[in-house]
Amino acid sequence: MRFVDEFRDAALGRAVAGEILSTVEPGRHYKVMEVCGGHTHSIYKYGVDNLLPENVELVHGPGCPVCVIPMGRVDDGIAIAHQPGVIFTCFGDMLRVPGSDGTFLDAKAQGADIRMVYSPLDALRIARENPDREVVFFAIGFETTAPSTALTLKRAKQEDLRNFSCVCNHVTIVPPLRALLESPDLRLDGFIGPGHVSTVVGVRPFEFIPVDYGKPVVVAGFEPLDILQAVHMILRQLGEGRCVVENQYARVVHWDGNLRALEVMSEVFELRPHFEWRGLGFISQSALKLSEAYADLDAELRFSAPGVRVADPKACQCGEVLKGVIKPFECKVFGTACTPEHAIGTCMVSPEGACAAYYNYGRFAKEREVV
Amino acid sequence: MLVVEAEAERELALCEDAEGSRQTVDTGIVGPVQAGDAVLVHAGTALTVLEAAA
Repeated sequence: MRFVDEFRDAALGRAVAGEILSTVEPGRHYKVMEVCGGHTHSIYKYGVDNLLPENVELVHGPGCPVCVIPMGRVDDGIAIAHQPGVIFTCFGDMLRVPGSDGTFLDAKAQGADIRMVYSPLDALRIARENPDREVVFFAIGFETTAPSTALTLKRAKQEDLRNFSCVCNHVTIVPPLRALLESPDLRLDGFIGPGHVSTVVGVRPFEFIPVDYGKPVVVAGFEPLDILQAVHMILRQLGEGRCVVENQYARVVHWDGNLRALEVMSEVFELRPHFEWRGLGFISQSALKLSEAYADLDAELRFSAPGVRVADPKACQCGEVLKGVIKPFECKVFGTACTPEHAIGTCMVSPEGACAAYYNYGRFAKEREVV
Repeated sequence: MLVVEAEAERELALCEDAEGSRQTVDTGIVGPVQAGDAVLVHAGTALTVLEAAA
């Protein structure tokens, strides 16, 4: 398929890997963070890390939308789902995210009407088809997914669908990156910027990283050649003493993003003063809620969500994984007590989670390495 | 995904992925699309129309 096959060309991949090898300085260790969980998934699915020199280390960032949802928000969702007459809808990867007393799947088994949807539009269709039921959509995601929720809420408003509402858990990417960069225990040389978030917000929001923190950023696509080229562009900047934001994903990402998407989002959402991120704690102005104009579609107001804060399980080290402080296999419960089938932490649940990517694609290679 | 059929008035399009699966996609933020366009779709919404490298 066009735009896919040409970015999976093995010969070209080996050629870029050769370029990377000739760009690195021997004796210097490079740490590059891929911000987005989609990149983490691709890196392990295609074995991109195996093509890199040993002194180039990829570190996984906080850009997995499911991974950052704290247990309290899951508990709030489950409490709403159990209310009489409610049809609760969410994306499939949310279903197995543990709250303090089970997952959405457990709640479904206990009788709550919880349905998986592929898009908020599906939830809206369910609302149209069930006028006598309250249909709630549990919205998650970064700026990539927020336009979809915003458009759906606009449609609900236009159609005067009063039985539809939304629990808004949308988060924004810049505040956690700033929090990471302020973290004293993090040593990074550069960032692979989130390609799909940048489709919406553009490249400009990442300019503070080279300006304020002196780290290069290359916004990249998700095919193996995209990631290899992004690593090469970062290493080349470091070698040439440059430090800027570059756009490797120009076939998709425009420098200013999608202005119509930003306009719709600013109409439907406003920033929350604070939001709790799993493993990262509270980060100011890092999440979205429904604006005044859309408050009547806010499920948290309609159903009085309990809003209880729940601490992460002690055994879970998702926070350190999300900050790139440890690798998934360094977590005490990785692959033993915590597996995709019985996850303790969110990073093992979502396909975009670093632990799930390691578990699905990398754990056997790791075992061979140990042997 | 490739646009199979576009419905401009409702800002919706029927799209097909590489495996042949089809879904209705909201095109509200990318503007008018036409059959054959390649669009990046996320959570049922087209985020951008892809451009071939020059």
